[in-house]
Amino acid sequence: MNRPPAITGLGGAGSIGTVTLDWKPVSWATVVDHYAVYADGTLIGKTVYPHFVHRGLGFTGVTRSYRVVTVDAAGNRSQPSSAAAVTNQTSVTVSGVAVATVGTFDGKGSELALSPKGYADYPARFPSDVDYTFGTSNPSTDWSYLLPGPADKWAGSKNHRATFRFGLAAVPEQDLDLALWLIDSHASLAASAVLTVNGTEVGRLTFANGATKGSTIADSTYPGSPLKPSYLERPLPKTLFRPGENVLELFKDQGSWIAYDALGLFARR
Amino acid sequence: MPPPSRRTFLQLTGLSAASVAIGVTAPASADATPPRPIPDGAFALGVASGDPRPDGFVLWTRLAPTPLATDGHGGIPTHPVPVQYEVAEGSGFKQVVRRGLAIATPELAHAVHPEVRGLRPGREYFYRFRVGTQLSPIGRTKTLPATGDRFTFATASCQAWYHGYFPAHRDIARRTPDAVFFLGDYIYEYGIVAGDNLWRQGVTVGPEHTVEIETLEQYRLRYSLFKTDPDLQAAHAAAPWFLVWDDHEVQNNYGADNSLYGIPPELFVHRRAVAYRAFYENLPVALDSLPQGPDGQLYRRYDVGSLARVLLLDTRQYRDPLPVNEADRVSEQRTIMGHEQESWLYDGLRHSSAPWNIVAGGVVLTAITDDRTEQWDGYPANRRRVLEAMGQAGTAVMLTGDIHRHVASELKLDFADPTSRTVGVELVCSSVGSNGDGTDTDQYAKDWLQHPYVKLYNARRGYVHTTLTRSELTAEFVTFPYIHADANAEPRVVATFRSPVRDPRLEAL
Repeated sequence: MNRPPAITGLGGAGSIGTVTLDWKPVSWATVVDHYAVYADGTLIGKTVYPHFVHRGLGFTGVTRSYRVVTVDAAGNRSQPSSAAAVTNQTSVTVSGVAVATVGTFDGKGSELALSPKGYADYPARFPSDVDYTFGTSNPSTDWSYLLPGPADKWAGSKNHRATFRFGLAAVPEQDLDLALWLIDSHASLAASAVLTVNGTEVGRLTFANGATKGSTIADSTYPGSPLKPSYLERPLPKTLFRPGENVLELFKDQGSWIAYDALGLFARR
Repeated sequence: MPPPSRRTFLQLTGLSAASVAIGVTAPASADATPPRPIPDGAFALGVASGDPRPDGFVLWTRLAPTPLATDGHGGIPTHPVPVQYEVAEGSGFKQVVRRGLAIATPELAHAVHPEVRGLRPGREYFYRFRVGTQLSPIGRTKTLPATGDRFTFATASCQAWYHGYFPAHRDIARRTPDAVFFLGDYIYEYGIVAGDNLWRQGVTVGPEHTVEIETLEQYRLRYSLFKTDPDLQAAHAAAPWFLVWDDHEVQNNYGADNSLYGIPPELFVHRRAVAYRAFYENLPVALDSLPQGPDGQLYRRYDVGSLARVLLLDTRQYRDPLPVNEADRVSEQRTIMGHEQESWLYDGLRHSSAPWNIVAGGVVLTAITDDRTEQWDGYPANRRRVLEAMGQAGTAVMLTGDIHRHVASELKLDFADPTSRTVGVELVCSSVGSNGDGTDTDQYAKDWLQHPYVKLYNARRGYVHTTLTRSELTAEFVTFPYIHADANAEPRVVATFRSPVRDPRLEAL
């Protein structure tokens, strides 16, 4: 038996719930069947690509040691590669204190309006899009489970806005953090939305492509769920905020829909 | 100029004769007895022949006593195994005309591709394999003729195993044509899920089949699953096959190194490499088509005596991406074949003196609607160049599949001009399995039948059987009333067309 070469250059980056690994593939001289990926000595997946995303890691950071084994076309296995230690990111929903939220950060969108598959009713139920006031509005009637985009014919093939209003007693002492969790998104057209806080354009939020299943299925957590959840968190400078009513807007002017898990603002401890 | 053969390439790159010989022949010193006993049922995936020539053909089998072993190795121990083969003039094997040995190795999932040469043209042959004490089923095949007055062939495509049974293959096997053209989508990469896309009644699949395939072991396993179908095995054992691929041998609607599903090209080439590898391993194609890294040489040319030239296309590996706008779609530079393959095709057509030129590809050539950009409607400049080259040679017979519908059309030199010359005919075969039971017509019929040059549209499963002579072509479009419930549906001929060799046109019989 001839062992194939091990890969080199293994490195990783932690995000919320995931670690993304990349490495240099072996040369084409080796016909690869797949790369077997190990975390702390346990097989976590196989891939043909020099790239692997370790999912389902939860929302508290843990450091794991990753290695990759090359399996060639004959079934021969390489020595394990050198190890890379990578930590998944801790979510602000764990490290912070909720200021204002809509929905529950639980991998499900079932508590939101029109869930699990009422998207066709969106134009009738939200003719002026979503305008939600924290503390007053009701998630199950006032916050649509999908935010459509201009690529969605069922929502009129136009741009859509979601407005989230919430009160603050004072300007926060530290920056706040936005958490925008998705149970799923369109598989190729998740694209992006413009984020505005109190009239100031903060930037563009780019969404991960999902599985195009979250428009009809609300739960990303059961075994074998086809949904591809994703997690977007970013700091918002405290100077954006003001005492009294604050307004956060998502303006979906690119691509297709995203399916919410929950959205919220968190203060730092 | 034909592309350099794989053999030439391997010699130029200094690979040894021994490595080239793996799976094709064996060293003279090789022992025909396996070092260890092979589990019973080694030939569970059947036997096949393909890429016929006037003096021979490629034989194929893959040892797999446990075809659905999840590691893709078929239940064979991971050491080389000698496989004997013999070729005879009769099915009783009294007149064995060739004997040989090929070494099945785990590198190729224990597939062998012996290339038999030195046979007589236009003749039926029978073959079988032996490993240890196990004998394979007997295959029937045929060399291409030296001259050729009559050539019969079946065309088939798109065999989504999970959508139903394969009575089309059973019927192809019954007719023992001179050749079978398989026009792509031999496997599908999708996960197979009960209650979703598993419509073949009375079967269940394990969890390893419920996910989209990506690794070599998964592609190998998918070929094994489809190849467990006895009617598919029968069609392979009944005639030599000419195979081309379409998208689902890799991934739905991919083109070149572009995935439709957002996999970056620098990653996707690794997927293409294992997918092309599994295609070679599991099908009776010549060594020239053994991929090197992510590249496979599949376009190739054969001559059916002086009756017909056969040009097999690859319309996936070299295609430009989907057009970004109308100006891009109609751009003169745009190609579905890649410029090298285009030159090869035009040379092959211009230098053909045969009355018929059979061009076989994955996707429909005929102009239908401008938004069908996955087929040649997305590449009108390339299509115009092909039609012009066809117009300078004998009558073209375009064979395609992909759409899961039977379609017959006349190839116009300029589809926009109804008075332009007809340079040949296109025979689009429906699917063997994909889309399940089907109906005679459906909502897409009007897109096709709006054109005066389209003479047939049928949305049932089936195959096409064609006979070429020096004076005419006769094409029978065969369908089956159902495929979900079982494999026993009876064939029905929904249309038969005749075309004279010169002045081609489709006359319904």
